[in-house]
This record gives sequence, structure tokens and C-alpha cells, in this order.
Amino acid sequence: MAQWQGRLFLAPTIVILLLLTIFPFLFTLAMAFGKVSFEGGALKITVIGIKNWTRLIHDARFWNALVVTLKIVSLSVLCEYLLGLFLALLLNRRIRGRTFFRVIFLLPMMLAPIAVGYMWRMMLNDTRGPFNDFLRRLGFGAVGWLSDPNVAMYSIVLTDIWQWTPFMLLILLAGLQGIPRDYIEAAKVDGASGWKIFLYVIFPLLAPASIAAVFLRSVEAFKIIDIIYIMTGGGPGLVTESLTLYGYSVGLRAFDLAYGATISFSLFFVVLISSVLFFLFTRKVRQISLE
Amino acid sequence: MKGKMINLATYFVLIIWTMIVLFPIFWMVTTSFKEKLDVFLGPKYLPWVDFKPTVKWWVRIFTVERRELITPFINSLIVAGISSFFASLLGSMAAYALTRYKFRFGPMRNDDILLWIVSQRMMPPIITALAVFLMFRVTNLLDTHFGLILVYIAFNLPLSVWIMANFLSQIPQSIEEAALVDGASRAQAFFRVVVPMVLPSLSATFLLCFVFAWNEFLLALILTYSRAQTMPILIAMQHFQRGPQWWDISALSTLAVLPPIAITLGLQRYFIKGLIPIGK
Repeated sequence: MAQWQGRLFLAPTIVILLLLTIFPFLFTLAMAFGKVSFEGGALKITVIGIKNWTRLIHDARFWNALVVTLKIVSLSVLCEYLLGLFLALLLNRRIRGRTFFRVIFLLPMMLAPIAVGYMWRMMLNDTRGPFNDFLRRLGFGAVGWLSDPNVAMYSIVLTDIWQWTPFMLLILLAGLQGIPRDYIEAAKVDGASGWKIFLYVIFPLLAPASIAAVFLRSVEAFKIIDIIYIMTGGGPGLVTESLTLYGYSVGLRAFDLAYGATISFSLFFVVLISSVLFFLFTRKVRQISLE
Repeated sequence: MKGKMINLATYFVLIIWTMIVLFPIFWMVTTSFKEKLDVFLGPKYLPWVDFKPTVKWWVRIFTVERRELITPFINSLIVAGISSFFASLLGSMAAYALTRYKFRFGPMRNDDILLWIVSQRMMPPIITALAVFLMFRVTNLLDTHFGLILVYIAFNLPLSVWIMANFLSQIPQSIEEAALVDGASRAQAFFRVVVPMVLPSLSATFLLCFVFAWNEFLLALILTYSRAQTMPILIAMQHFQRGPQWWDISALSTLAVLPPIAITLGLQRYFIKGLIPIGK
């Protein structure tokens, strides 16, 4: 078969990705080790070594953004997984109207995060939002959902959970439907209880789907900016400022492109390290589930 | 008896979650029909009971503010539409090549190439965005439809290659091989035989890409400022430009979530089936 035809089919994708992902990636890497200036409208990058990186290490605002990002990712991904799994198990039962529920449950992840941010900002408004209204009616005091530095991050997490639990649900439900019914029937015949069937049959067989869902969702969650941009703008103070938001502010608002590139690159390393750790960890889990 | 109880409990939880999902959307939609006072003296819940709905913000959007609104709306349609068309087409071509030919680029085989393409999606967009901003500045592509379309194609390609490779590896190859034996070229076999066979998944991929491009925020924020501005940017700027005019913001946000909701509800069967190869 003519090999060149296959290459022709593959070429556009490779070229576009090289041009708009790999090249910019290297470009940003160069900026992170340099200084960007415009001389008479012409772009110039001067290499200055690791100055940006030493600045990064001594930048308290960077460490804050890193911790905020890690907290938001771990907390929301954990909750999304547990909730998504629970709902997927319910939707996997043969009940009437499950198509209806499945479609409704998918809705949040299809909506623009900007709109979702505004929705929740209105819901969580101190005086006019339904959340504080419910609390008042139940006899509790009002909570400063977005204005209290101790709470604001959890409000962001809450919004993220609302929007992205459907994604976990989607993948886990597909995983559940791929489990042969015979296995579960066999366990039932052997007299296993519902809980035991879940623990020893369903959960191990679902491991690949679980790992995929958690991994994909985490990678996306690390990039969080839009919800924060709308709901708190990183505040109060800096308690909800994520790495992407900090990188954006430095790079394109303060127009310090080189340092913005350094911050962004640190996010890349964080994602990379987390992915490697995740795969090492899940390798063990996979072996255990096989034994 | 026990089974019935479990079913009841299942429905109970499912209905609670339905309410959790729908309430914020309900809140946004109703806010776009509230008078200013009803927003500021709120929270008011039920239309006709707690407050008298008004359509004046919607009328305003389509009359006085029409000119500010229409450009971003059309921009979003053009950019999301064209970029998703190419992302799903080029993506399925690449997926086709990867499932039908054996490649070797240095140490990389087909699976490595596929993984390389899909892993591009892992890259935080802020990294590429800063460099693309400079690249576009130099090439005068900032704030153009063409520039944003290019970026969104790259943004959606990994996803579309991944989904389509999944499908194309599953469909039987005998039909296209028959076409090839009859003297059709690979391109003919692909466009005349394979594409019609995978049209449902191809359309689902297109729609998913469309929704992602339609909703995308960060790249549009960095790469556009007026002529090519999209809906999410218009909405995000509302609060900074005019203060908390929640009725207007709600109406605009409702408008922005309508196409994705319509896609999900209207084509749900086909959409979900088209994306998940296993299952019923």
C-alpha cells in the first residue's frame, strides 16, 4: 500500500500541532530563561539564564498560587469522583426514566464556565443569594461565601464540583456498562451481598475507567481560571488565585512576559510530576486488583 | 419489598441531584426576567408568585444593545463552527491513517504517535497562549477570526483524534478493502465509504468540539480584543464595564448556554451513543 497516502492523511494534524502547540511550548521555554523586549516594534528575546527561576523560588505569591491550585484540584477531583461514582451506580440500575436523568445530569459540563461562574456568584451572594437565604430561614447566620477568606476557596471547589461531576459520571457509567453482567450474576449466585459485589467485583473491574476519569479530570482541573476569574478574581486577597490566573496577570496584564512564562512553565512541571506520581501509584493499585 | 425500597431511594437521590443540577440554571434564567428591585431586594424565587416577570432586558438586548451583542455572537458561531469542522475532519483523517497504516518516525510507532497527539491536550493552555500571543502579534493575526480558528483547531484536535481512533479501530475493514480492490484510491475509500459509516460519531465529535470552542475563555481572552471577540469574553467583561447588572448578565449568559443545551437535549441519544463506543 502506498505509504505516502497515509502520511498525507496524518500530516495536517501533525503540522498544526507542531506549529501551535510544540513551537509555542519551546518559545515559552525560551522566554522563561530570558528577557522579552520590543525594539522598534521588533520582538527580541535575550537569554539571562535562571534569573526568572530564582525570582520564582523567592516569590511568596507563586507558592500561594501553587498551594491554592493543588488544594482546588485534589479537593474537587476527589469529591467529583465519589459523587460521580455514586450517581453512575444509581444510573446503571435498570430503572425507568434513566435516559432522562442521564441527559439532565450531563448538562452542567456543557455550559460555558463563564456563565457557570456568574450563576454561582449570584447564588452565593451574601445578601441576595438563595444560599444565605436558606441558611437564614433555617436559623443560621449568613456565610460570606465569596468574601470570607476562609470560605472563598471552598465556594470555587463547590462550583467546580457542580460543573464537572458529570464528566466523571459519563466515563464511569461507560465503564460500568462494559462490565459483563455474568460476573455480577455469578457473585449473586455465590450469595455475595450488594456491598460485597461492589467491593470485590465491580470496583476492581472499574479500575481502568476510574483511573482514566480521575487522570483526565485532574489534568483539566489544573488549568482552572475561568470560574475564578468570574467569581472572585483571585480574591479575597489572594486566597483563590490559581497558577494560570497568576501567570495570566503577570504575563499579559503587567506585561512581564518572561516571568509570566516562568510561572506558566512551573504549572507544566506540576502537571507532569503529578501525572508521573499518579501512574506510579496506580500501577500498584492495578497489580493489587489483579491478584 | 426490599427491591421496591431500593428503587424508591434511588429515585429520591436522582430527583435531589436533578434539582441541584437545575436550580442554578433556573436562577440564572429567572434573574434575566426580574426587575432591578426584585434582584436587589431578593432573593425572589418563583415567577408570578414572588415577583412579576418582565421581558424588558431581553427586549433591550435585541434592540438597544443589539449592535454590541451581535458581533460576538456571530464571531462565536463562525469560530466554533469552522474550527470544529476542521478539527473533526482532520482529526478523523489522522485517526484513519493511524488505524490503517504502520508508521515509524524514529523510535515512534503508531501507538506512540497517537499518545503524543492526545497528550497535547494535557498541556496547560496558558503556556502556549503566551507564545501564541507574541507569534500572532508579529504575524498580525491578533484579534482575527483566522487566528482564533487556527488555535481552536489545535485545541480540539487531540480530542477528535482520540475519539475517532477509538471508532475507526472498531469498524470492519472489509468494505473499504473491497472498494480499494475495485480501484478506489485511499481518499475515495475514506470519504465515500468510511465517512458515511462513522457519520454519527463524526457528528458527535464535531458537536463536542463545537461546545468546547464555544465555551472557551482563556485563549479568546488573550488573543482577541474587539473585532474577533467571542461571547464568553463579552459576558466576562460585563461586570467590569457596567457593574453588577445581574439581569443583563443573566440574559447574556442564558443566550450563551442555549446552543450547548440545545445540542445536549436535542441530540442526546445520538450524542451519547456516538461518543461512547461501549454501552447499550
